[in-house]
Amino acid sequence: MTEVIKRNGKRQSEEFKREKLHQSVHAACLSVRSPDGEAQQTADTISMVVRNWVDQKPSVTSSDIRRVAANALETFHPEAAYLYQTHEMVV
Amino acid sequence: MLLIEKRDSTKNQTNMTDLTAFIIIAFSALIHASFQLSISMLTLLSSHTIGRKRSARRLFTLTSSFSFGVVLMTILLLSLFAQIINTFIVSSGESLLVWTIGCGLLTGVGVAVWVFYYRKQLGISLWIPRGFARFLSTRTKRTHQSSEAFTLGLGSVVAELLFIIAPLTIAAIALTYLSIGNQLLGIGLYGFISLTPLLFITLSINGGTSISRIQKWREANKGFLQFAAGSGLVVLGFYIYVEEVITQSVMAAARSL
Repeated sequence: MTEVIKRNGKRQSEEFKREKLHQSVHAACLSVRSPDGEAQQTADTISMVVRNWVDQKPSVTSSDIRRVAANALETFHPEAAYLYQTHEMVV
Repeated sequence: MLLIEKRDSTKNQTNMTDLTAFIIIAFSALIHASFQLSISMLTLLSSHTIGRKRSARRLFTLTSSFSFGVVLMTILLLSLFAQIINTFIVSSGESLLVWTIGCGLLTGVGVAVWVFYYRKQLGISLWIPRGFARFLSTRTKRTHQSSEAFTLGLGSVVAELLFIIAPLTIAAIALTYLSIGNQLLGIGLYGFISLTPLLFITLSINGGTSISRIQKWREANKGFLQFAAGSGLVVLGFYIYVEEVITQSVMAAARSL
């Protein structure tokens, strides 16, 4: 089981949840007006890539997960990747 | 809305015409329009609404309510500033003092915008306290009802007060030179011009434009927008200093000879 250390270590670490990542990637794809089926497929692929990466580590940070997911998303859906990457830097 | 008595321009030793006052109001509103916090929050709100598979109608309701909140708070603040300036400063006959304070504010905020407005990192983060920015982001993400969107619109204007205070103050001073009917027109003009980018973004998003396209454009042009807003403030400050402070002082000195 891989432990996810939250941002700044302020919140308690938790187990990696594939569904959580899937949901955020899916939402990013929908936000750039991708059809639902395509968004679902992209989110499945990205979640799998990140899952495989996470499985090799004993612990990762939430920022690492975001970075790896954004890099993978860049290949499949650059527009969604941009939104996903800059999501926390809007305000 | 507070309507204030038109000032006697002869008594206050100024030659400001209605046209000049309207130009100052319009230019101030244009500078106000170049500030970005409300636009950032609108795009974030839209992005979450679309991402949650909400209907196009819901998206329209939320974005319109947000924009309405922004314009209402802008108009209320402008009216409040005009009332305060008229009651406490201008009625005492110190028009030179009030314009000088306005010029100082414009120049100071203009330089601050040049230096600070955007954070130097990826994305379009603005120079507002991080805790406050996180609060605004979280609130925006949790907005589901139009009443919440409306309140968020009101709050976004207050959150950016540090920067918009300069154009608001100058427009408010110019308003005190207009007749009551023209004051309403001036307030409407300011509200409309300052809302234009928000209206444009609202229509674009509801018309199907991709949010990432809008964000990429904003990020690519953030340096220019920052420079334009800062320069606009400094230029307006310089114009008002020459027109309303130096010219009036020289005229007053000539009259006393």
